[in-house]
Amino acid sequence: MAQNGEQEANLKAAFIYNFTKYIDWGVYNDNYQFVIGVIGEDSPVIPALQEIAKTRTINSKRIEIRIIDDLSQIKDCRILFITRNCPFSLSSILKRLGKGVLTISESKGYASLGTDFNFVVVNERLKFEANLKAISSSGLKAGSQLLKLAIIVDQE
Amino acid sequence: MQVFTSILVLVIMFLVFIITDVKAFRQRKVDNIKSIAQVIGTNSISAIQFQDEGAAMEMLDQLHNVSPEIIEATILNSKNEVFARYSPAGAPAVEVPSSMKDSSYLFKNNHLLVTYPIVASKEVIGKIFLVVELTELQQITYNKYRLAFLLLLVAVGFTFIVANFIQRYISKRLLLLVNTMKKVNKTGDYSTPLVDEGKDEIATLINVFNRLMAQIAENVKKKDEFIGIASHELKTPLTTVKGYIEMLKTMEDQPPKKQFVESAFKNVLKLEDLVKDLLDVSRIESGQLQLEMAKFDLSQLLDETVASAQMMSMNHTIVRKDEIREQIIYGDKKRIEQVLINLLSNAVKYSPGEQEVFVNMKKNEKEVTIQIRDFGIGIPVDEHPLIFDRFYRTKASSVHISGFGLGLYICRDIIERHRGKIWIESMTKGTVFNFSLLITNYAQQVDQ
Repeated sequence: MAQNGEQEANLKAAFIYNFTKYIDWGVYNDNYQFVIGVIGEDSPVIPALQEIAKTRTINSKRIEIRIIDDLSQIKDCRILFITRNCPFSLSSILKRLGKGVLTISESKGYASLGTDFNFVVVNERLKFEANLKAISSSGLKAGSQLLKLAIIVDQE
Repeated sequence: MQVFTSILVLVIMFLVFIITDVKAFRQRKVDNIKSIAQVIGTNSISAIQFQDEGAAMEMLDQLHNVSPEIIEATILNSKNEVFARYSPAGAPAVEVPSSMKDSSYLFKNNHLLVTYPIVASKEVIGKIFLVVELTELQQITYNKYRLAFLLLLVAVGFTFIVANFIQRYISKRLLLLVNTMKKVNKTGDYSTPLVDEGKDEIATLINVFNRLMAQIAENVKKKDEFIGIASHELKTPLTTVKGYIEMLKTMEDQPPKKQFVESAFKNVLKLEDLVKDLLDVSRIESGQLQLEMAKFDLSQLLDETVASAQMMSMNHTIVRKDEIREQIIYGDKKRIEQVLINLLSNAVKYSPGEQEVFVNMKKNEKEVTIQIRDFGIGIPVDEHPLIFDRFYRTKASSVHISGFGLGLYICRDIIERHRGKIWIESMTKGTVFNFSLLITNYAQQVDQ
């Protein structure tokens, strides 16, 4: 099934939203708003996420889509979506991260480099990689129903 | 007829049982499949959310391996398009009938179709559709019917055996009893008792019936005997009277012989007595005997009756032994006189020859007792309870003693109506008849 860019973006946004149903943020679930931070201004995923944020909630909280220009802004994010056009290096981002943040990327190999989930296209289908060690060191738990669909990769 | 009814009832019950059983079995099957559908649905939520048809297919594949009766399994998305499907090789897939709503089932063409919604966060994101092959169910149903039929045959056989038993041991005996009763009622032959070998309640019933028959036969015999005696007793004086009157007729122009008239008169009096006795008995039996109660002197009555009894028996000496001059009691004087005359004449009748008869009166604060003692043939002890019975005449005498055997029966009735007692004692020679009457100063009510 061929997916053009917009379709893929919509799908990624839907996936990101659906991920939240299977992630347990535990003690880090305290804010009154659920903030999804996106690093990379022009990503087509942003409007898709904003569309979702209009009508949906996560854990009964309103969703805020925050466009990150500066790494200091990632503080309250529960999800950090690292787009392909991300101006910062992965390691700098990861260094600034505290616990309780789910990192999702869409660049090849990023999962093994340390992000929790990474979108990949396999046989023209959108799939995702999961790094279990990264997830657990973030202090988060991922449900088995989700993980069974993921491509499990090891931390390098 | 009853066997047919029981069998009919059995068949109906079996049918009802089988039908409810099969229905319940089918319902359980449906519930079972629905649970499976629900579980599969829940497990495929993430696959649908993340569009992973492969993962969904794997699950459906596994489902078939675990429950091979599920020959087709389909997951539909929210637009009712097929998301993932497992279907039998070589056969076209069964489509969801449009008549089926979101959560329902349908039995069609040997298959069970079940649909169930897939719900995530209160939102329906798809539907699961299962097609189940029913041959196993049918096999079980068929087996159940067969078993039920066999059981029905056994039950019918059993019914026959039980019916046979009941017929032999109960109905047959009862019917025999009923038929015997009908026959006896028609022919009046009470002499043959019914034979029964059982020891149960029916045997008891038959026993009682036999005793009843014997009692009736006895009564019939007594009735016949009485008719015989009555005819004889009435006929004898009648013949005598007839004879004397005939003779008087032929003596129309001669002065009538006093002896003839007297003899005739004596016999007429005797007939009168016999008839009076019969009348009394008849009144007693129908409860119409009335007493006329008044105060009178029993002692004086005793003297009077002794005197008149003495007048009628030349050979005997009737002696009063006590010294009580006056004894007022409350009763029916004529009837007490009847009792005294009866006892005195019995005493004379049953002590033939030159004999004495003693009469005695005793009293205490409650009652007065009169005793009449004869020295005659006596009454055997085994006859004591019988002599006051109706029509009873003692068998001990070799001499024919006239009478119906009603006298003592009437005496007993009169004394008992006075709330008194009458009894006898046998002596070495002769008998003593006793009767007692109550002494009260005030009005004595006697049950009529």
